[in-house]
Amino acid sequence: MTSATPPPAQATSIPVLRRILIYGGWVALGIAVVGSVIGYFVDGGTGVLSALIGTIMSVAFMGITAGSILLANRVAGNESAIGGFFGIIMGGWLLKFVVFLVLLFVLQDRAWIEPMVLFLCIIAGVVGSLVVDAVVVMKSRMPYASDVVLPPAPVDE
Amino acid sequence: MDATTVLAEINGNIATVGYGLAAIGPAIGVGIVVGKTIEGVARQPELAGRLQVLMYIGIAFTEALAFIGIATYFIFTGI
Repeated sequence: MTSATPPPAQATSIPVLRRILIYGGWVALGIAVVGSVIGYFVDGGTGVLSALIGTIMSVAFMGITAGSILLANRVAGNESAIGGFFGIIMGGWLLKFVVFLVLLFVLQDRAWIEPMVLFLCIIAGVVGSLVVDAVVVMKSRMPYASDVVLPPAPVDE
Repeated sequence: MDATTVLAEINGNIATVGYGLAAIGPAIGVGIVVGKTIEGVARQPELAGRLQVLMYIGIAFTEALAFIGIATYFIFTGI
């Protein structure tokens, strides 16, 4: 029997976070479709564009958190690099809010934006992604003790 | 000009005050969430994956407040 080398320990959060991103994308698609239809009836093409921009903004910015944890696990996953781990997550968080502020500042006075549709789509996207997060985490099964690399079993001589 | 008008006069953009107010809550919330996660991982490193997911949920709910708070000013000034 050949002794296969054990796979490197992988944080149990990775599949959960991936699932959050995938399901979040589907919910975003739904919100974009519904928002576009409502936006079309409110303000025609401008409403559709505002709904799409609002949905993309909210879901992209909410998804950056999960993406940053996935990236941090890949880049600084081991225990010795825990400073880098939280640096990536908090740095991404800060960067995200600066970009969000700048985007809103740029978009606020544009003629091709209907502010109320944009705002409602941002709120719908944020609440929708929160619901997805909560449902996925509630349904996910994670072992109580994880990320453990067990020592190799003793071999009888 | 009466005294009340002079006292109530504010110069500059009130949006800066709004952003400051919108940032206080999430800043405290995320600080607590991340700090407690570090504490938990330091105590039990084998729980890191589980704690990451719980930390993610905590950050997501906290940052939702910040997003809505920041968006509110920009949207309602146009109305």
